[in-house]
Amino acid sequence: MSEFHDNYPQYEVMSNHGEDEGKKARSVLWKVFWVMLAITIFELVMGFLAPSKGWSGTLWLKVLFISLTIAKAAAIVLWFMHLGHEVKFFKYAILVPYMVFMFYTIFIVLTEGTYSGTAGHFTKLDPIFNAQQEALKHAHQHDGADHGAAPAAEAEHH
Amino acid sequence: MSHSVEIDTKDAWGGGQSPFKLSYGKIFMWFFLVSDALTFGGLLISYGFIRHKYADIWPKAEHVFTHFPFIEQHIPLAYVGLMTFILIMSSVTMVLAVEAGHRMDRRGVTIWMFWTIMGGAAFVGSQAWEWYHFITGTPGGALRQVWDMGSGAYVKQIVHGANMTVNEYGVPQFANYFFFITGFHGTHVFSGVVINFIIFLNVLKGTYARRGHYEMVEKVGLYWHFVDLVWVFVFTFFYLL
Repeated sequence: MSEFHDNYPQYEVMSNHGEDEGKKARSVLWKVFWVMLAITIFELVMGFLAPSKGWSGTLWLKVLFISLTIAKAAAIVLWFMHLGHEVKFFKYAILVPYMVFMFYTIFIVLTEGTYSGTAGHFTKLDPIFNAQQEALKHAHQHDGADHGAAPAAEAEHH
Repeated sequence: MSHSVEIDTKDAWGGGQSPFKLSYGKIFMWFFLVSDALTFGGLLISYGFIRHKYADIWPKAEHVFTHFPFIEQHIPLAYVGLMTFILIMSSVTMVLAVEAGHRMDRRGVTIWMFWTIMGGAAFVGSQAWEWYHFITGTPGGALRQVWDMGSGAYVKQIVHGANMTVNEYGVPQFANYFFFITGFHGTHVFSGVVINFIIFLNVLKGTYARRGHYEMVEKVGLYWHFVDLVWVFVFTFFYLL
């Protein structure tokens, strides 16, 4: 840059800091790490317990998982990627366009995506998936338990 | 070191300084990451759409990914939990390398970057292992409808594992999205490891010590955290939900 702007500010050097500031920064980063680790372990425990407790697919579990994910994402972006400490206008320049595009895409999928009907609507019209679903039902009568798709098709084979 | 330049808002856009108080390289790394994040966002939204459409026959991740190295029992989520831990840990070592760079601590940058590269390599290896088991499948296999090129019709066949056309565990779309999204993420991790390694060599050579700042480490750090950020979402949408 110096050949074009002799007095252009050296932002690369300006972000350097001393020992004391470094110590403070490190303690914050480790705290962020422990919080993220705790969230991840909590998510894993919930995911592990979900099938046996009958929580799988419930709305509150989905909301919980997605909120915890967004919390972790915010921690990474704000502290690890240092966006929380940048100039206010830079935060907006990064986050606002992204949010606009993402919310718009989600909105358009939820509203204009209705051609596929309700969940499983297409599969009922499709002979192949219909047959697979029949196989699943058939297997449930034999096993009496949910073992997922793989053993289900095996049961049909016998 | 710090001769901070106060920017008067009136002439912030007049040139000669950055209104964002950031260097050119860092601003454009952020803009690149926004565009990359849009790609991943689009992929994940499309995944959600297809999953919703086939909700009644979508395979459950805990039935698919149950393996753990050296252990015979089926433990769902344990392996992906370990992978997530490795990636979060390598994100922490990266941010510590950046912090050491701010203090011009060459030894600190070297150590923390080394562990970041190790973590990234371990993650790519874990993903290869997971793909191997998903592609190989179970010894018993499962009966699936498979398109037969010869007769031009669907026939029933025992299928082992998954690829782009058949999937032992359920609908082929699950395998398609799994390979595409984790593959795209894995490519990012792999290139991240390569870029980190190049910067690591420069740190060893003392390039940045002579330059007076470790901003290159900070820029590859931004990319590396982004890779971790994407994994947080992939982990939730593929394995937890």
